Amino acid sequence: MSESLSVSSFRLSEAVWRADSLADAAGVTVASGHAVLDAQLPGGGWPEGAMCEILQAHGEHNEWRLLLPALKRAVVTSTMPSPVVLVGAPHVPFGPGLAAQGLDARQLVQVLANAPGERLWAAEQALRCAAVRAVLAWLPQAQADQLRRLQMAAHANSKLLFVMRPAQARVESSPAVLRLLLASQQQSDALLLHILKRRGRPLEQPLALPARTARLSVLLATWCGPARPAAGASAVPPEPVADFLQGVRDVVGRIASAA
Amino acid sequence: MLWVALQALPEDASMRLADCTASLAWWALQFTPKVARVDDTLLLELSASERLWRGRVQLLRQIHESSKLITAVKLARGPTSLVAMARLQASGLARSKPDDLPLSALAAARPHLATLERIGCTCWGQLRFLPRAGVVRRFGAPLLDALDRAYGLQPELYPWLTLPEVFDITLELPSQVETAQALLFGARRLLNQLQVWLQMRHFGVLALTLLWTMDARRDTAVQGELVLRTAEPAIDTVHLQRLLAEQLAHISLPAPVLALRLRTLETQKLHGQSGSLLPDAQATGDSLQQLIERLSARLGAQQVLQAQSCAEYRPERMQIWQSVVPSLTSGAAAPVGKGLHDFRAEALYPSWLLAAPLKLAVRDQCPQYGGSLTLLAGPQRLESAWWDDGRCALRDYFVARSAQRGLLWIFRERLAPSGAAADAEPTWYLHGLFA
Repeated sequence: MSESLSVSSFRLSEAVWRADSLADAAGVTVASGHAVLDAQLPGGGWPEGAMCEILQAHGEHNEWRLLLPALKRAVVTSTMPSPVVLVGAPHVPFGPGLAAQGLDARQLVQVLANAPGERLWAAEQALRCAAVRAVLAWLPQAQADQLRRLQMAAHANSKLLFVMRPAQARVESSPAVLRLLLASQQQSDALLLHILKRRGRPLEQPLALPARTARLSVLLATWCGPARPAAGASAVPPEPVADFLQGVRDVVGRIASAA
Repeated sequence: MLWVALQALPEDASMRLADCTASLAWWALQFTPKVARVDDTLLLELSASERLWRGRVQLLRQIHESSKLITAVKLARGPTSLVAMARLQASGLARSKPDDLPLSALAAARPHLATLERIGCTCWGQLRFLPRAGVVRRFGAPLLDALDRAYGLQPELYPWLTLPEVFDITLELPSQVETAQALLFGARRLLNQLQVWLQMRHFGVLALTLLWTMDARRDTAVQGELVLRTAEPAIDTVHLQRLLAEQLAHISLPAPVLALRLRTLETQKLHGQSGSLLPDAQATGDSLQQLIERLSARLGAQQVLQAQSCAEYRPERMQIWQSVVPSLTSGAAAPVGKGLHDFRAEALYPSWLLAAPLKLAVRDQCPQYGGSLTLLAGPQRLESAWWDDGRCALRDYFVARSAQRGLLWIFRERLAPSGAAADAEPTWYLHGLFA
């Protein structure tokens, strides 16, 4: 009797959480690489075997900034080649740029599909593949029941699944266990991250993540100091450019030696 | 001598396999090399294999158990093949002595059955006691020969079957098939038979071709063909069935199909896989190759891409996204273009690249994209591809900030396109997004 009671209470603790605290993670999580975000996610990272929805305004694509540290870790830790499948990416992922941030672009498999049905199908097939570690799908027109199907597939196969949708979808219901609204703020060079849904109390204040990698920020700061208008660019004399370059080399050299 | 006669039960066999008896014969070759086919009955001579299979009882049990994987069968045994075949005719005869077997169970006696019955001769023993010279004169020598073989007085010789080197089976369809998708039903039966062949040969199939013969009365092509290839040798035909279904969906038939033929083009010896001692170490699901092949079959090979780095200075050529080839997915080769990417430039590379550079409007010498752009870093000068006729890249790259779109990677063409005035405004292009 006592044994069955303890078993049931153990399952309860996974499925039920107090409304004023974060839930325990039911499964494995992958650290997001952003300490501020990890502190606010149940289990301290992206949940494996569950769907995460990322909402962004039209024309903004800050997925890499948010997801790249976790993807980098997910790809590297496994011994087998475990690719990341991109379904319906809005632009071409730029391999050298991603490699500079530590993600080997050869681990990406890009699936080009325009029809919404094809994207859903490709995403579901990718989730069923044993070798694939994570799936990123851009699904601007997905319905809640279709997303539920993807959520079930991710759950059954324990995959990382990120679904990118437009910001208008925030009013629709969604089966995702984690919903984030990502907005870039140009003045302060920060990404504002609203956690719309998580297992735990709602988060009222948005999180601020740095919008650029540390290297890019340093480089931008050293390159030209205060920003100048484009019109002046053609009039830059060659000597200051050489000085800038020298300054950048120094700074980058320092970063490299520190690393 | 130990002879076993086997016959597939008709009900479930014909639905699953194209040629059930042939499949059964291939399967039976694992027990003995002496397998013969008489009409739809298989004869196995097992006396030489008894010791290998630890005795007669074990061997027969093994045959009975493992035959269920192929199809449901009925089997009978006897000291000669004709006795075994006769015992197969009816279930009540399994234990009867050869003398008590009915003459109707002996193929050679069937033409003379009526005459034999009228002289009061209904079982083998009665025929055997008739004077031999008279029997030969009345019924011919073949009947007596068959009787001698049935009692083991003469050797039994059959053309023994072998496992073919190449799988090549034709299936006559029971009815004319109008649509390509409906061919899948027949093709599935052929593939199931292929699986038996592959299992017996310990082969995996790399390429196969499905041919169909169409009604010649229509004034169109008489034959059609579909080649299936897979990167990893496949023994499990479920993946092949899915690939075939995707391929058939793209095909339209000009005329009804009468027959299907499946032939292997390329096979490979299978190497066994090491299992794991831990029960949960094996991940479940398809392999990456199967995923890629299925996606490519449905969406087209050009829609499933993987990146390869390339030694080039032009950003659009630094990487080639090409349809996935098997070698890319395994092994970690050194990046080809590593030497070209210097540390400083890499940090200024964006993470998204536009498929084609987007020409930007210019107002007051200032490029516009969601408002005026502010240049943050640059110029990063690129001068390359002068050898590439007409596509010479003379560009200055800048990192620019847009009030609404975040950080952008834009470039300015340093030379006006030929034909334009020399002092024309420089053209600005958007080439990448930082995200």
